[in-house]
Amino acid sequence: MKTFRRLTYPYIAWILAMIVIPMILIVMYAFTQQGNEVATLHFTFDNFMQFFTDMDFLRTLWLSLRIALMTTVLCILIGYPIAYMIAMSSSKRRNLYILLITLPMWINMLVRTYAWIGILSDNGLINSLLSAIGLQPQKLLYTDFAVVLGMVYNFIPFMILQIESSLAKMDKSLLDAANDLGADRWQRFVKVTLPLSLPGVISGITLVFLPAVSSFVIPKLLGGGGYMLIGNVIENQFITVGEWNFGSAISMIMAVIIMISMYVTKKLDKSDDALSRKRGSVR
Amino acid sequence: MEIKEQNKLIQFQNIVKDFDGQLVLKGISLDIYENEFVTLLGPSGCGKTTLLRILAGFLKQSEGNVIFDKEEISELPPYKRELNTVFQKYALFPHMNVYENIAFGLKIKKMSKDVIEQKVMKMLKLIGLEGFERRNVTLLSGGQQQRIAIARALVNEPKVLLLDEPLAALDLKLRKEMQYELKRIQQEVGITFIYVTHDQEEALTMSDKIVVMKDGEIQQVGSPIDIYNEPENRYVANFIGESNIISGIMKEDYQVCFDDMDFACVDFGFKKNEMVDVVIRPEDLDIVKEDEGKMNGVVKSVLFKGVHYEIMVETVPGTTVSVKMNVTREHDVASSDAKERISANNFYVDLADVKDLNDAEIIARADAQAWDPDNGDYLSISKIEYELKEEVGTYPVTFSTSSGTSVTTSIMVVEQKYVENKKKNEAISAFNFFKTADEIKESVAIDTDLKTWANAQGWKLSDESDVEIEDVEYDFDPDTIKEGVYQVTFSTKGRVFKIHTTDFVEEGSEVGLNFHPEDIHVMSKMGY
Repeated sequence: MKTFRRLTYPYIAWILAMIVIPMILIVMYAFTQQGNEVATLHFTFDNFMQFFTDMDFLRTLWLSLRIALMTTVLCILIGYPIAYMIAMSSSKRRNLYILLITLPMWINMLVRTYAWIGILSDNGLINSLLSAIGLQPQKLLYTDFAVVLGMVYNFIPFMILQIESSLAKMDKSLLDAANDLGADRWQRFVKVTLPLSLPGVISGITLVFLPAVSSFVIPKLLGGGGYMLIGNVIENQFITVGEWNFGSAISMIMAVIIMISMYVTKKLDKSDDALSRKRGSVR
Repeated sequence: MEIKEQNKLIQFQNIVKDFDGQLVLKGISLDIYENEFVTLLGPSGCGKTTLLRILAGFLKQSEGNVIFDKEEISELPPYKRELNTVFQKYALFPHMNVYENIAFGLKIKKMSKDVIEQKVMKMLKLIGLEGFERRNVTLLSGGQQQRIAIARALVNEPKVLLLDEPLAALDLKLRKEMQYELKRIQQEVGITFIYVTHDQEEALTMSDKIVVMKDGEIQQVGSPIDIYNEPENRYVANFIGESNIISGIMKEDYQVCFDDMDFACVDFGFKKNEMVDVVIRPEDLDIVKEDEGKMNGVVKSVLFKGVHYEIMVETVPGTTVSVKMNVTREHDVASSDAKERISANNFYVDLADVKDLNDAEIIARADAQAWDPDNGDYLSISKIEYELKEEVGTYPVTFSTSSGTSVTTSIMVVEQKYVENKKKNEAISAFNFFKTADEIKESVAIDTDLKTWANAQGWKLSDESDVEIEDVEYDFDPDTIKEGVYQVTFSTKGRVFKIHTTDFVEEGSEVGLNFHPEDIHVMSKMGY
């Protein structure tokens, strides 16, 4: 076994070079002033102060969280029924459906998002159709709606696949058992299927919320040049403004927020268990 | 009968079920009464679980009616049926603890909290798992999960409890324990249990009524004692317990004949001279002194089984034939310049087969070979000379290679020797044969090779179907054999009775077998 352990060294080196060192750099940048030589590092909390005292930044943060949350909720609401349908179909059809779900992911995300511009723009597909049937054209592109739509469209496969795999894993005799004990289809779903698929929903949330909250390509393309989410702010600080220290500080703030939200989700999952255990213990 | 009629709880009326054209149930009609412990018994694929799932409502029959409590329930979904199921792998809800699992059905019925609590506690007591209510079901042992599955079903106070191979996943000791437990629970709650299993012992231990199924059909319905003592056919007799089954002829009422002997029995109602199957259970046969029983035989084997010995006694020996094996010296011939060697065996051939002999056949039968001794390469035999007549006699045959190296052997034309055994309706035949000592030493499966070399065959006199040659006897050691003539004896299997007894007898001793007329059970032959 010991000799096998050596095989991990390249990966450890890779992780060090590609993940740990950049993270350390970000932390370092976040806590230092601009223009430091390595020899004369000057530590400061100014970068964080700047963020929390500027209402514009806080509003952007709030908008980002709101959009990401909305995206996640919509992904659950739309994705769950689809996942359920796939999981309950025969294995041959199941493979086909899963292929169809993953098929768009073979195409570059940028290209797919550009396609939405064509569909949503003022003289795009939807508005042409609307005017064809005599309705007023609507402003669709460069709105919150367009951004959320783009995110749901891009991230929903992750949600569907997670929920589907947890549903497919479920022992089907449990459904028979619930039926047998007097539960109709709805009761069976609420009391057995849903609780047993929660782990899939939880990991789906993680996979959708995280990229949604830090996404900057989708808001840029579908929200327009002035549309700012926290991901765009960070991108700007690094690329346009050249304020690496401030950008790093915002990244760190985001990282902390994400960690907290993941912790809360995990807790929710656990407390559900704990709650049910307690209910049994009241006697 | 009159009283039972009123208590008829479930009636299957001519249930047919096919899956994509494959008939799984071929018209099952069965009545189940109140408070009965009914077992559906049969091998996997016999349709027993399908029948159970039709009753539970998970499957719908293709034809026929299911009457439950005087009502046709075929259209009723499972959750509206007044019965509950214990599933094969328990199907406990992993996200609920013991208490919640058991309370599931009651909560669905929206019973009040304290009623639910009372009932669940009563159930936990019944299954002997008090204090387990908060436990995580996935961490319990198989036996405990099993009990919870039973409690979860019983707490709903169903009229019928369906159990689908509930003990299959448990180990032997636990399975025995749970058998008593289940029977106790059934008697305590006093409802009908319908139990599906492939384990005949389980069925005999627990049931009031056993339904033996095979290929989607019911073979027999009866109490365990009936089924064991009065099996209706060979299949049931074989499936339930161990048995000696012998083909026989029912001479007249109370008299059956098998192995050329007449025996008194208690069975009647068969046609005169009807072909029947006779069952004698191993424990009904007694070993007595030779000539003191109804049959005599030789003890073939004795196996210790714990409580008893399993003794095999052969009462009628098989049919035997003996042949001579001529073991010869290496008889290869070298060419004058020693560049080639050639060899062949003498062989016997049946008079009737002479006309079928050709060059290739003779080379094969004589095992004629030529080779280069330096590198072992085989050479072809280019010439073969012989003169054969369709008469008994010995004829020389000469094999030669293209360069003229030759060997001469003999073909012996004989009339095939075979032994008929009218009593057992069979015959056996074999030929004398020639082999070199090396060929015998090289054999890895000497019994099989001897059968092949001697072309030993057995067949039934009536229809010429094959009879297996069970025994090959010889008195040489294949590893050290030298030239000479040896006797090899082939025999078919004799009539062997299996006997369970606690008395030890020596292997090879001659004994008598005794039984009483009521120990014989005569059955009709299974329908063709």
